[in-house]
Amino acid sequence: MKEIVTVQVGGFANFVGSHFWNFQDELLGLASDPSGDSVFKNNALNMDVLYRTGETQQGTLTYTPRLLSVNFQGSLGSMSSFGTLYNEVASTPPDVLTWTGNVSTHASEPRRRNLFLQRLYEEERDSLTQENAINGGRNKPQREIKDEDIVEFLENGVQYWTDFSKVHYHPQSLYEMSGLWMGAQEFDSYGIGRDTSWALREEISERLRFFVEECDHIQGFQFIVNDSGGFSSVSADFLENIADEYTNTPVLLYAVKDPGSHMIPKSQKQVVSKNLHDAVSFSRLSSFCKLIVPVGLPSLSRSKASTFLCIEDEKPYHCSAVYASALHTISLPFRMEPLGPSADSCYVSGAVDIHGVVEILSGQARQNRVIILDVAMPAPSLTGKQVEQSFLGNLQTLTPEISEDVEDLQAVESMTIHGALGSGGRRAPISEVKDMVRAAYENVMTKPRFCNLSVALCPLPIPLPFPKIFGNLVSQHGELLGSPVVDSPLRGSLDVHSIPLAARLRSSSAVLPFLENRLGNIRRLGIQQGAAGAEIVRYWGYGKDELEDMGETLSKMVLELDPYSQMSSDSD
Amino acid sequence: MSIRMLNPNAEVLNKSAALHMNINAAKGLQDVLKSNLGPKGTIKMLVGGAGDIKLTKDGNTLLKEMQIQNPTAIMIARTATAQDDISGDGTTSTVIFIGELMKQSERYIDEGMHPRVLVDGFEIAKRATLQFLEKFKTVVVMGNEPDKEILKMVARTTLRTKLYEALADQLTDIVVNAVLCIRNPEEAIDLFMVEIMHMRHKFDVDTRLVEGLVLDHGSRHPDMKRRAENCYILTCNVSLEYEKSEVNAGFFYSNAEQREAMVAAERRQVDERVNKIIELKNKVCSGNDNNFVVINQKGIDPPSLDLLARAGIIALRRAKRRNMERLVLACGGEAVNSVDDLTPDSLGWAGLVYEHILGEEKYTFVENVKNPYSCTILIKGPNDHTIAQIKDAVRDGLRAVKNTIEDESVVLGAGAFEVAARQYLINEVKKTVQGRAQLGVEAFANALLVVPKTLAENSGLDTQDVIIALTGAHDQGNVVGLNQHTGEPIDPQMEGIFDNYSVKRQIINSGPVIASQLLLVDEVIRAGRNMRKPN
Repeated sequence: MKEIVTVQVGGFANFVGSHFWNFQDELLGLASDPSGDSVFKNNALNMDVLYRTGETQQGTLTYTPRLLSVNFQGSLGSMSSFGTLYNEVASTPPDVLTWTGNVSTHASEPRRRNLFLQRLYEEERDSLTQENAINGGRNKPQREIKDEDIVEFLENGVQYWTDFSKVHYHPQSLYEMSGLWMGAQEFDSYGIGRDTSWALREEISERLRFFVEECDHIQGFQFIVNDSGGFSSVSADFLENIADEYTNTPVLLYAVKDPGSHMIPKSQKQVVSKNLHDAVSFSRLSSFCKLIVPVGLPSLSRSKASTFLCIEDEKPYHCSAVYASALHTISLPFRMEPLGPSADSCYVSGAVDIHGVVEILSGQARQNRVIILDVAMPAPSLTGKQVEQSFLGNLQTLTPEISEDVEDLQAVESMTIHGALGSGGRRAPISEVKDMVRAAYENVMTKPRFCNLSVALCPLPIPLPFPKIFGNLVSQHGELLGSPVVDSPLRGSLDVHSIPLAARLRSSSAVLPFLENRLGNIRRLGIQQGAAGAEIVRYWGYGKDELEDMGETLSKMVLELDPYSQMSSDSD
Repeated sequence: MSIRMLNPNAEVLNKSAALHMNINAAKGLQDVLKSNLGPKGTIKMLVGGAGDIKLTKDGNTLLKEMQIQNPTAIMIARTATAQDDISGDGTTSTVIFIGELMKQSERYIDEGMHPRVLVDGFEIAKRATLQFLEKFKTVVVMGNEPDKEILKMVARTTLRTKLYEALADQLTDIVVNAVLCIRNPEEAIDLFMVEIMHMRHKFDVDTRLVEGLVLDHGSRHPDMKRRAENCYILTCNVSLEYEKSEVNAGFFYSNAEQREAMVAAERRQVDERVNKIIELKNKVCSGNDNNFVVINQKGIDPPSLDLLARAGIIALRRAKRRNMERLVLACGGEAVNSVDDLTPDSLGWAGLVYEHILGEEKYTFVENVKNPYSCTILIKGPNDHTIAQIKDAVRDGLRAVKNTIEDESVVLGAGAFEVAARQYLINEVKKTVQGRAQLGVEAFANALLVVPKTLAENSGLDTQDVIIALTGAHDQGNVVGLNQHTGEPIDPQMEGIFDNYSVKRQIINSGPVIASQLLLVDEVIRAGRNMRKPN
């Protein structure tokens, strides 16, 4: 067993993380549910990779995500940063033991738990009382809050990422940055993040150390960062620290962008600032990790990735669900037990750890660290002959600014498919999926140089707090129907219980436009004589030399993918 | 108004509105923090929307917890917290002093005086006050053996403003001893060498000084001893886990035996490192019943732990980076980065090493060390907010002791300095100033009185009576402060109430600077947002 420590920095990163942990929690719940689907019971996925076992001072055992989440003070909504597992919440304010003089209490308006969280809370209380009174009447407690109401509420009422989280977190997990004296709107420039105090950074590192110390053999960090505003620079400093402290532990970095950050800027100055941010942020983040996966399309709803989905771009609750699904799929091979090259279980195949993925994608012919994330949500059923032709075409990118239809013979891929359905709606056995994918690759014009395939039988479970984003062609088990379900145009967690999913990490020259845009911007707006953004960069605290270094890093990345690039040498 | 032509959305506040916005913000912030000041102040309990509790009597903590939005207030708050960063205390004083300077200025400005004139007066008064502080301060010569009594008095003055008396007095000894422990007369005092550790313990408020180190983790092997006496301590930064993955090798093997062989070969390198440590242990521990403890900054994986446990070694992994430095200062020896240069000389020594477990939290105590230059203050409290508050107080206490040693001087407290400086400004400096800048000096002098006034107010005394009594005593040539219980003048020297010289100097320095900046603002422009309406 090799542990992963997950880090989430920034608002949208925590939205993605919240969905991600909901999936894990759902998997855990289904595995222990006696009446559940057998596919979830023997999923052959080791959850200890992502979770830690602990014990409260009262001796109660706990099982919580091995997670460090960093965000603003006040971004946790109605959730306490200490969680509820390790603290019994006192109903009355406790006595002040350290002062005998006057006490003045300043209480903020208590944040009300929303419908969903109320239900969770009630269920927990009921299960406690049930334990106390065994055999005391097995009749299910009457639920006052209906599932439908909850789903409806979450569709429109999600404000904080905690609003739809059903996971218990460890008190060390949720870190709030205090003393910044600004809201999320003001924390939008790269420079502001650099001003965060040094004590704050030390405290974040301490929290991380808590989780790493417990690991017997850490396989890597899964790092999700909100790539806009000050959080990016906070993360870059944090990553630098990690690279320094845990030198040989690989970092898999997802730089997520919420759709709001793609909004068309109002003024010329904002355009310059935004472009420079993207360039500087990317250059800094990428230099401290093994793989960087930019995630987040300007308009997810109109992209091909949501062919079977109905996304509302302005809702982080919606977009983050899609990105989290892909992240979940990518993380599956990290949790499979390695069985050696030839042996295969009938539940999973293709175990590979983070280090392995890094080796596969960037350790071979090209040392490219910038990876494209593709997803097929839901993955098509493996029926009929044409699926071999079309299967790879279903994988659509979630990475922005990349070119389509690039013929790259040097491409390297790592694909994960789970819960794929075969003919008649049954789950396709592992070997069938493998054969199909092999055949699918035979059918494409330009084959990648190398493709790693991981397969799991267990599909993506859809937890109750999941947005209503499925179109009416998606059936209860995620099968794509020929004709639409008539009763409702949008289907959510009450109608769709699980879906098959395929996701792929791809190292390909298709990412060149993404790199070239950033390289171009840093040269045009930052380095050039009289550049429009020179002032901004100086304000962020970067000198010309540092900027030139960043440009150098970026142009090396371009060269790695395209040795004959025009961009790499020009210096006009 | 040309900004209007450039950007029609820009909001402009004209001269008097801008000034009053600043003055009101400063006064508002002053009102919030005022009740904190002094040993009779009010402690604040902040209850967040999710029920999180913060307890504080520290201006610095309070400022950081308040989600301040007003730009002027942010400016003041930044100055005040910078004050804390530099000198460790005086945040509340800075804020109320700035607030009072603005308040005093408001009177003159409303009468039509130009802020520039006031600011000039401030500058003169500031320089005079700083000169006066030099004369007023009490010089304390430190030498090799600092006067423990004076250090205790300074620490007690600070701590009693944060914690109730008995607890403050208990902590006084602890912080003074902690600073004296880490002090090396040739070097600057590095307070990071005092580790502050906390434990959550039901119903118990207790703090003690551990001469040695407390680490917040334990050994990760069931067979390692939980308690050991007479220990050699090896402080190292050496990876004792093998980091290459099987998959990496996966491209090179074709059957299970080959894979085993690959793993074994890679494993061997790590084992060699472990064996070098075991060799050293055997060398120093043979023929005696001493123990051997390894504290490593890098990881130690289960096979290595196994080897170490079998050799009777206690091993801790992933120690804090800073603890590497602390361990060496506490136990002696040196931190090694490679097992190749291991010698008995690099080992430290501790008389006792033991583990303490509370739920999932483990603590390792490294105690009974010889001649330590690093130590740990261990705070116990029943809940997080109590612990956090004591921690803040301990930090302030440590800073106060450090400042005293470095300043080699202290200032009489309980408002004595402020009253004395005010009388000096009014009676002597003001006369030497030409023209209307006199009024600036006067405003500054009166603003100084905000400290004794607030102390009196917080004690429920009549501020007018107190000020009259104090100034009266000063005019007769007695340097007195305020007795918080009776309102009578007292001699701070007799009562042992001393403040830090550097804190006072910093307040006098930074207060007028920021107040002057705020007074000289004649236009506030903000593009695109309405600042009169709450948004």
